[in-house]
Amino acid sequence: MAKKPNTDDILKKIRQQKAGDSSDGAGASPSNEGAAASVEKPKVAPTGGPADILARIRAQGSAAAGGTEESAEPKPAPKKPTAAGPAGILAAIRAQGTVSDGGTASVAKSESGTATSKKAKSAAAPVGDLPPVDEMLRQLKTGKVGSSAAAAPAKPVLQVPTRPVKKAAAATASSRRGFLSWFAVAWSLLAVTSGAWVLATARFMFPNVLVEPPSQFKIGSPSDYPLGSVSTKWTAARGIWVVHTDQYKGQPLLYALASVCTHLGCTPSWLEGEQKFKCPCHGSGFYMTGINFEGPAPRPLERVGLSIAPDGMLEVDKSVKFQEEKGQWEDSKSFVDASLV
Amino acid sequence: MHLDPHPNLTSSVIYGLGFLYLVQVVMNLFWTARCMKAGNHQRLPSVLGGGDVPVAMWWGMYTALLSMVMIAHFTGYRNPEAFSLLLPDWFKGSVDVCVNDPKLFFLISTLIFAGIILLRKTLATDTAGWMLFNAATLFLSLSLTDWDFRQIVGKPDNVPIVGMLFIVGFFTWLFFKKANENDRRIEQGLRPLEAENNEKVLVWPDLVYTELIVMIALTAFLFVWGVLLEAPLEEPASSVKTPNPSKAPWYFLGLQEMLVYYDPWLAGVVFPSTILGGLMALPYIDFNKKGNGYYTFNERKFAISVFLFGFLPLWVGMIVLGTFLRGPNWNMFGIYEYWDVHKLEALNNVNLSEYFWLYGLGMSMPVPDATSSFGAQIATIVWRELPGILVTLGYLLLLPSVMAMTVFRNFAFRMGFFRFMVFANLVLLMAALPAKMVLRWAFNLKYLVAIPEYFINI
Repeated sequence: MAKKPNTDDILKKIRQQKAGDSSDGAGASPSNEGAAASVEKPKVAPTGGPADILARIRAQGSAAAGGTEESAEPKPAPKKPTAAGPAGILAAIRAQGTVSDGGTASVAKSESGTATSKKAKSAAAPVGDLPPVDEMLRQLKTGKVGSSAAAAPAKPVLQVPTRPVKKAAAATASSRRGFLSWFAVAWSLLAVTSGAWVLATARFMFPNVLVEPPSQFKIGSPSDYPLGSVSTKWTAARGIWVVHTDQYKGQPLLYALASVCTHLGCTPSWLEGEQKFKCPCHGSGFYMTGINFEGPAPRPLERVGLSIAPDGMLEVDKSVKFQEEKGQWEDSKSFVDASLV
Repeated sequence: MHLDPHPNLTSSVIYGLGFLYLVQVVMNLFWTARCMKAGNHQRLPSVLGGGDVPVAMWWGMYTALLSMVMIAHFTGYRNPEAFSLLLPDWFKGSVDVCVNDPKLFFLISTLIFAGIILLRKTLATDTAGWMLFNAATLFLSLSLTDWDFRQIVGKPDNVPIVGMLFIVGFFTWLFFKKANENDRRIEQGLRPLEAENNEKVLVWPDLVYTELIVMIALTAFLFVWGVLLEAPLEEPASSVKTPNPSKAPWYFLGLQEMLVYYDPWLAGVVFPSTILGGLMALPYIDFNKKGNGYYTFNERKFAISVFLFGFLPLWVGMIVLGTFLRGPNWNMFGIYEYWDVHKLEALNNVNLSEYFWLYGLGMSMPVPDATSSFGAQIATIVWRELPGILVTLGYLLLLPSVMAMTVFRNFAFRMGFFRFMVFANLVLLMAALPAKMVLRWAFNLKYLVAIPEYFINI
């Protein structure tokens, strides 16, 4: 056979075969030999796999070709197992083969009460009281079949070629189970390790010592910042400009601007000659007041908190921000009224 | 003695240029020999006597001229003050005027793109390709006599981009040459060349050997490069000090240029994702079954033109602009222009809502009342930005339908609704970049929709 048939092909072929058998004339009385089959071989492999089904098909094929003598005995006992799981399917397949070979049907009794759906039996034509193969397959799939029949040892009665492989099955199964448990251990260990690693990483985000300038600091007396000036002396260390100007709403104000471009966060440069802040990354420009006027920056520079400390020094509070577009520059914490100091 | 801090010519520059000319001489000698072998002749115009001369003669004369220039460099390098092979100032000035204005730069790069498409039959020939290559190398050699040009081009960061320009030019030329050939064959009813010569070669040894050789050559090249050009390391990074100008890696300069016109979340997130997603979507959008497995232009005019527009002027062009033309404070500088930190470009960008309310209606802008409810504030903001919102929605929702009914009627019919909408929106998003650039240059328009309160700016 050139190509391995898939399950659909097999089932189709089986159905065709069934139709052929019944048309041969024996269809009227279901033969009982098939029943024998349910027990034949210490069967094993919980698989009614394609290979087994294939074997049946081959057997049936030969039966059809060989003219198929029928067995005369009528009728199996009604309590024969109808479907015994994979083993039953397999048995049916093998039985089919034996029927065609010579019809030596010896009925083995099946001890298991695994019969599930009796109605399926009525449909069975050529293989005793077993239901059709597709019915058995369906039962197998839905898991309704009792498994005890499969596991039950029964003596082989038919000259079915024995397969040498199956003896080791039980041992294999137990060692596989053992392997799986080791697998579970390994996965659990991995999960624990990963969890510990995630926690350690999270801990890493909270250093014991934070080397960072304080967000509140004094920048000297207001008189250090004459009107109309932008002081860059705190830019490198603390990231602020101190501005004293009356260009914003006409009053002389002192305020501190964060030196972070509102477009993408570069540090603009204060250009004394042009009297503007200019960002080197995308060309945003801001007036001395912090208002954006050129380039892509969508909003003015942000102010940080500025106040007069009790000792008369200016004190910057970088932990608070004041955004012009939200009207926060009206907040008295965002500036110092230079006319009052 | 006069000491210029930025001398256009020094002894070492002249000496080095001599080697650059030597390379050109050798290459043109080979080309001349090739022409000799081909044996093509050309009839002179009657003014010159109308004789029949071999084409190779012209190349021989050009090579001789190059050799004389080379000899002049090798013999005259000791006295740079007296060396007179310089680019004239009028030339530098006019080039600077053309490129230091983004409007003109974009116009010229678009014209070059159109020229490539329209003149492909003329330009994508061996002779024209060689002439273009010579023009480019000659331009480079002459421009290197300028101090400012050397500063830009010779920066270790920028050297690969000069190489990239030659490579992009070569492969564009190669594509059109092959496409022209196939287009001619298809016109004559023949099959494309790739279908005729479909002889297959073996992976081993043909391909593997080639790959091995290329791998070794490339590794050697990288070693030489790494030794000859110092790594462009800068001072330690500081969060409060940004170099001026501050440039992205060269391959991201197109994105950085986009950021000049768009908000970060658009230019940095939405557009790059759209480029990637759009390129991945191309096979599903394309309904033209032709041009599969062979070079052709005539059978895929639209697809190739749109792709090349996105690639040449919008991607490579923006990389060139960002690399060579953006200087301190992200101002535009000509290639022969000194990078003056104090160069002043007066700009005052205005949002569309400001145009509408302040200039159009003469009213004051609606200001959200900080004391009112959240919903009322949102309503005020939307009302304030309504013109821009309508324009944007119209652009993305209405325009595809208009396109489907007019210029792209055939496309819409063949693609079906969903596919056409994807296609139309991709095209419109690609066109959004030049559209916004033109709006910025022409009207100083900053944002169509400006909602800085919630970081939504379009």
